[in-house]
Amino acid sequence: MADNLQLARIVSQEALETEGVHSLGTGRYAEAATYGPGEKVTGVVVDRYEVRVHIVVRYPLVEPIPALAERVRERVASRAEGRPTTVVVEDLEVERGVDI
Amino acid sequence: MWIFNRVVIVLLLAGLFVLGVLMVLYSLDLAGYRLADLPLDSFNQALARPVRNLESGNLNILDVGALVLVALLGLVLLVLELKPPSPRRVQMQRGIYITRKAVETETTGVVDQNPEVLQSSVNVKAQRRPGAKVDVKASVRPEEDVPGVQSEVQDRVQRHLSQVGIPVSNLKVRLVETDPREAKTRVR
Repeated sequence: MADNLQLARIVSQEALETEGVHSLGTGRYAEAATYGPGEKVTGVVVDRYEVRVHIVVRYPLVEPIPALAERVRERVASRAEGRPTTVVVEDLEVERGVDI
Repeated sequence: MWIFNRVVIVLLLAGLFVLGVLMVLYSLDLAGYRLADLPLDSFNQALARPVRNLESGNLNILDVGALVLVALLGLVLLVLELKPPSPRRVQMQRGIYITRKAVETETTGVVDQNPEVLQSSVNVKAQRRPGAKVDVKASVRPEEDVPGVQSEVQDRVQRHLSQVGIPVSNLKVRLVETDPREAKTRVR
């Protein structure tokens, strides 16, 4: 069983590898991060009760936001060791050179 | 509302604390505070009339009004305190949320694409059920066809948010006629 920081690293990697995810968010009202000794993983909150990942979606979208977030959730949930998983779409980031 | 109630309670407790300290000082005649100096007689007289009226069941309309007002105020504060706070994020589906800021940015982008709109402001509220409550306020020139532009903006926003998959439970578009010279953010 991985500790919170290890799990946060794994979740972060899984989320970033999902197609359509630009980056991980940092939180709006409070920093979304998992803290360890001398280290933190930003964009993922892992505690005893849940795993929460904050994503920034790449624009143009490869699919509607809920579908993309659901894919992220499925990937992350498979690594979350049974904890409820939440995905928060924090922002949309337009790719450079794309005309919207 | 929690903040308002907290401020009220803090002020109330601070007042009670000060009152308690003064009572100790006055009742023990400390630091020059003497119980005999307090205008308790006039206070008693002012309080005696309504209390007598209350005891005899002979309240005048002002007393009844004041009591009803106090009861209503207490009821309103209690209801507001017990009401759960509105969520910070918009629920899209189970376990998936989007920030209000992201919905605002998406909506503003679409509203501002409309050439008739001089400037706009968008307010997004999250609800306890899935879907956002979106209020759009847009400024147009006085000579514009307001109902036409309103319907166009409404359609565009609805279509775009539906395309990207942001659920909207309530969309309101309000158009305000504005002199272009008074438009602060952007004039075409």
